[in-house]
Amino acid sequence: MSQALLQTRGASKHFMGLKAVDDVSLSVNKGEVVSIIGPNGAGKTTYFNLLTGQLAPTLGEVSLRGQTINALPPHERAKLGMGRTFQIVKPLIALSALENVMVGAFLQHARMADARDRAMAVLTRVGLGAHAKRRAGDLTLSERRRLEVARALALGPEIVLLDEVMAGLNQSETGRCIDLLRSLHEEDGLTFLIIEHNLKVVRAFSERVIVLDRGRLIAEGTAEDILSSPEVVKAYLGEGHQWTPS
Amino acid sequence: MNKTDRQSPPPQVAPEVSGLQSGGTALGRYLALMALAGAPLVFLAKDPYWLNIIAFTYLMGGLAASWNIIGGFGGQFSLGHGVFFGIGAYVTAIATSRYGLSPWLVMVPAAVLAALVAMLISWPTFRLRGPFFAIATMAFNEVAFVLANHFDSFTGGPRGIMIPFKAGFANMIFRERWQYAVLMFVFVALVVGITVWLRRSRLGYYLLAVREDEDSARASGINVLSVKLQGMALSAFLTAIGGTLFTMYLRFIDPPTLFTLQDVGVKFALLSLIGGVGTIAGPLLGAALIVPFENFLRAELADALPGMNLAILGLLMVLAALFMKRGVVGAFEDLLRKIKGKKGGQ
Repeated sequence: MSQALLQTRGASKHFMGLKAVDDVSLSVNKGEVVSIIGPNGAGKTTYFNLLTGQLAPTLGEVSLRGQTINALPPHERAKLGMGRTFQIVKPLIALSALENVMVGAFLQHARMADARDRAMAVLTRVGLGAHAKRRAGDLTLSERRRLEVARALALGPEIVLLDEVMAGLNQSETGRCIDLLRSLHEEDGLTFLIIEHNLKVVRAFSERVIVLDRGRLIAEGTAEDILSSPEVVKAYLGEGHQWTPS
Repeated sequence: MNKTDRQSPPPQVAPEVSGLQSGGTALGRYLALMALAGAPLVFLAKDPYWLNIIAFTYLMGGLAASWNIIGGFGGQFSLGHGVFFGIGAYVTAIATSRYGLSPWLVMVPAAVLAALVAMLISWPTFRLRGPFFAIATMAFNEVAFVLANHFDSFTGGPRGIMIPFKAGFANMIFRERWQYAVLMFVFVALVVGITVWLRRSRLGYYLLAVREDEDSARASGINVLSVKLQGMALSAFLTAIGGTLFTMYLRFIDPPTLFTLQDVGVKFALLSLIGGVGTIAGPLLGAALIVPFENFLRAELADALPGMNLAILGLLMVLAALFMKRGVVGAFEDLLRKIKGKKGGQ
């Protein structure tokens, strides 16, 4: 029914002998929310970096809207509508929140005033409108995470890749962040591919879940199916653990 | 895990962020800064000893501010700016002494040449990060030194080049010291003006983003190499202009004058560091503090105990590096924020 927006076919990344990502095929359709889960060291972030162009695949193919982008550097992918956040947030701490977002807004708005308007609109959208003039270095972790999302949104992307955007947030902050992402998905029609450790978030937000373990894609399905699959529980917690979904 | 969940703090504690003021205040600040910088020139216009120091302070301030474009905003710690300074100086000296051209005409083409050379040598070295980049650029400075000595039919080699004294505006040679001081003031005003503009331009934001984190800059659609090259070209262009002015002021150049690291390549960076790297006023402030002080030390101490002036200067810089990491401007900003924070009741 829908067209594959972002796709990998047999994507692999080898570091010396280590297969960090091993033959992963996945397609994310327009308007979907897909989560990647898996234990630490499963290759989630490496896989992300193949998608964003930080790393080039050893084997296989990455394509965006049917066009192969293996050799395209990250900034070109950003121009094609791919936004991303980083696991470790790195705002421009000496600049204001607004200026941070302007850096992204310049991609589509060369004029200073336009970029500023766009950045302000995005900040308001993520709920940081009142903090526009504050130094990014003075923001709380939760606000910095939102700022990171705003920086990606300022590019005017079609698909946003979120790398553990909720890490370190407490329950109520996580709840608000989910609400934000959900509204971006439903109202603005954004497509999301997210890496997330917090399974509550995965359950609440994603339509499809894939599981990576030791570089391989070991399961794919709806959140309900995946989170109750014994194989996934085993990969996460090891043998002999009982999973009690809450 | 269970940190107490507080609502995000109310936005009333909102320290003003530099660079985000409206165009009017930025211009106002710039004019105020230049008025402050110009005051000594007005008050000491009769004193040739001080005029010399003032002229050099402006020149070094302008050169440090040029370096600050790529070194401060772009975070690319070049120690090779002596190369661009030298290109400006040699092209000017050769063209005026040998071909009788006006320095005014030569100045811009020489600066364009410096910008091209800058891009050429930066292309490979920009792959290097942090200290490795700094060392590589330092090596280019040494190469320039050797080349300038070697090609003596061109550069005069170790003998240097002397420019005959023919006073006149067209020759950029003046009878009065204050005229040179005004020339240098125009230079520093130009460079600082360009940084004010740059800080509020797309390229300026991109340079800051690249300095902060290259991966994150790329994710924002920034072509990192291209932004660095643009910043370097602009920085080298202005540095070469400084080289032209230096040459016409001294009317004599030789390789040690142009390529001695602690007097040129490293000095530009140091002045910025002392004043506040990556800030608008920092390089100028650094020059205003260090250049006169250096002159004072040289005059007072050099005879008494050779090398003592350099030792004291070195010690001061170590102290500054230890206790004022963001320079005088940074220390001042921190103080201001502290005072504001207290007022805000936090």
